[in-house]
Amino acid sequence: MKNAASLKSTYTSAPSHRYKVGDKVVVKRSFPPGHRRTPQYIRGKQGVIERICGAYPNPEELAYGFDGLPEKVLYRVRFAQNHVWSGYAGPAHDLIEMEIFEHWLEPAGAHS
Amino acid sequence: MKTIPSDIGGESAGPVDTVDHGMKYWERQANAFRSAVQITGLTCTDELRRAAEDLGECYKDMHYFEITTSAMRTVLLEKGVFTSQELQAKMAEIRARFNVPDEMESPLKQAVRK
Repeated sequence: MKNAASLKSTYTSAPSHRYKVGDKVVVKRSFPPGHRRTPQYIRGKQGVIERICGAYPNPEELAYGFDGLPEKVLYRVRFAQNHVWSGYAGPAHDLIEMEIFEHWLEPAGAHS
Repeated sequence: MKTIPSDIGGESAGPVDTVDHGMKYWERQANAFRSAVQITGLTCTDELRRAAEDLGECYKDMHYFEITTSAMRTVLLEKGVFTSQELQAKMAEIRARFNVPDEMESPLKQAVRK
């Protein structure tokens, strides 16, 4: 079996990006109709940029037959489980990581 | 607030069905068709997912291949690949000559079971 480290990464480069690794961000608390990849339960939650995954055609546009361009920057964002779920019973160090596009993110503290 | 029927993270879901139900004959056909259409670039996963989500309240009462096949029908109609009249006529024609039971099990799985 191939070592995971030897597999070609599917990540792309993202020459221009608003956030860098370690930045605190809040997922927009917004509920627009249409095809959205950001789960409801993560909207409004605060996390930290874990990595920049690259830039990809916007699935919210691809979903309706458009080309999804310009590409949107995709991040992996890390959240504490006990922040995401009220009454979370697991260990305090439990994390959930999720890939979220830039236009769904705001700097933490911007609205507090 | 909820707009997408598949966005169910955090909802109570009950026990997970881990039984392998195999694929019915039509499910194999429909899934192969979906793969073939996607390879042509005529549509993409995002578009099929959106069409599936647009099933709304019906989504939770449908099985996986019913959802994906319904989504493919929606997208092909949207793109004008065929009209609903043409689809209905073709379905009637095929139904008349096609006599494979819907519940036919995979021959491979049947062989394993014996």
